[in-house]
Amino acid sequence: MQDYITVGMLNSYITRLLDHDSRLQDFWLKGEISGFRLYQQSGHMYFTLKDKESSVSCVMFKTKGQNLKFRPEDGMEVLLRGYVSVFGRQGKYQVYVQEMQPYGMGGLFLYLEKLKTRLAEEGYFAMERKKDIPRIVNRVGVVTSQDGAALRDILRVIKQRHPGVEVVIAHSSVQGTEAPRELAQGVQCLNEYGDVDVIIVGRGGGSLEDLMAFNSEELVYAIYNSCIPVISAVGHEVDFSLCDLAADLRAATPTQAAQYAVPEYCLLQRELESLTDRMTRFMIRNLSSREERLDRSMMKKIWKEPRLLLEKKDELLKDKVKRLKKAMDDKTNEEKHHLAMAAAGLDNLSPLRVMTRGYAILNKGERVIKDINEVNIGDELQADMSNGKLQVVIKCKEKVNRWKS
Amino acid sequence: MQGESEPMEKLSFDGALKRLEDIVEQLESGQLTLEESLAVFEEGVKLSLYCQKELKKTDGKVHTLLKKLNGELELIELEI
Repeated sequence: MQDYITVGMLNSYITRLLDHDSRLQDFWLKGEISGFRLYQQSGHMYFTLKDKESSVSCVMFKTKGQNLKFRPEDGMEVLLRGYVSVFGRQGKYQVYVQEMQPYGMGGLFLYLEKLKTRLAEEGYFAMERKKDIPRIVNRVGVVTSQDGAALRDILRVIKQRHPGVEVVIAHSSVQGTEAPRELAQGVQCLNEYGDVDVIIVGRGGGSLEDLMAFNSEELVYAIYNSCIPVISAVGHEVDFSLCDLAADLRAATPTQAAQYAVPEYCLLQRELESLTDRMTRFMIRNLSSREERLDRSMMKKIWKEPRLLLEKKDELLKDKVKRLKKAMDDKTNEEKHHLAMAAAGLDNLSPLRVMTRGYAILNKGERVIKDINEVNIGDELQADMSNGKLQVVIKCKEKVNRWKS
Repeated sequence: MQGESEPMEKLSFDGALKRLEDIVEQLESGQLTLEESLAVFEEGVKLSLYCQKELKKTDGKVHTLLKKLNGELELIELEI
C-alpha cells in the first residue's frame, strides 16, 4: 500500500503554499471580464477574468464591491487588485478582488460613455428640467474642498464682484473613494439648509481619473434632485463630466462659475438706474405733455374774456329772435292776403250781394220756394229783400220757360 | 390693468427687476391713462428702491455648513 494524503490535505497544503507567497497576496491584474454574475442575496460578485490565452476565476465580496464606482460588465477591461487563494470545495484557485477599476483611458471612457447614455435615456440631463440661475444672489453654496484652489478662486471672484454676497461651504473631498458620496451629500445638505440661492459644485483641474468623482451616479442624482440651481465647475475644458451634464449651468472653471453665480454689482446697479431713469423720464414727459395740452386749451381767448362768450351768445339770440319775428310777420302778411282774396270771392257769391241787385227770396214758412208748383193761388209768402221783408199773396201763376228759347 | 403685482416683500430681486422692466415698457407704450400711469409709476419707484436696497446688502461672510451627529445643520463662520 502506497502512502497517500487526502484531498483535503492536498488543498490545505496548496493553500498554505499560495498564502505564504507574498507576491500572490497583493498584486494588480489586468484582463477582460466575462461571465459576470452579481448575486442579489449575498451581494457577492463572481466573474472570470481572461486574456487571449488564459482565464482565472474571480470573486469580489459585497464588502469590497459596494464601493465600486462603476458597474462591471462582460467585455469590460479592468484593472484589479487582489490575492490568490484556493476554494477548497472545488479544488480551484481564484482571485479574491479587493478593488477594481476600468482599465486605462479606453476603459474609463467606454464606461463613462455607457453611463452617460443610460443616464441621458433616463432623463437626468433633460434640458427642460434646467433651472434658471437667479440674476442676483444673497448666498452662494459651494460644494468643494475647503482647502482647494477652487474655493479660493470662487471666494476671490465673489468678493470682487459683490462684497455683500455670503458664501456657505459644504466641505467635501473631491477625489478618492469617499468623494462621490461626499459631493452628493454636500448638494443634499445645502438643499436641506435651503437658504442659498445657487450651488457651485466643483474643483480645479485634474486628470480624468482625478475627476471621476464628478462622474458618479450619486452626484448626478443629487444634482438632479436639487431644488436649488446648480452650477458645475469641474476644471477641464475638453470633455464634459456627468456633473456638467446634470447641472443647470456648466462653467469651465471655478472662477467662471463664480462669475456666473454673482453678476458684476456695478452692471446690475447701472441696469437698475437706467430702468429707473427711463421710468422717471417717461413719467415727466407724460405729465408735461398733458400739462401742455391743458395750457394750450387754457390759452384760448375765451378763458381770458368770458364776457365775449356771453356777448356772442346774446348776439346769436338777438339774431334768432329777429329772424323768428320776421318769419312770423311774413307768414301773417301772407295769410292776410289770402284771407282778403278769399273774402272778395265770398262777397261776390253772397246772396245779400245778389239781393242788392233787386232779387228777393221767397219763403213759405221756413222753406225757400224754388218752383211755382210749390205754391198755390192765395198762399201767403214772405219775400226777403236786401233791406227788409214783405208779406205777399199769390194772385196768379204762369209757367215760363226762361232758359229755353 | 395687467400684471397685478405681488406684495413687495414676497418678491425676489429678479422678480422685482422683471416687474420694473414690465412697468417701464407699459409706460413707454403710452397706452395707459393718466391714473394708471401714476399708479404703475408709484409701484415702479417702490420696486426701484427695493432693488437698490437688495443690491446694497453687505454681510459678505463666509460660512461652512456642518452636519452635526444628531443630523442638525450648523453654520460656522470662517476666517478667510
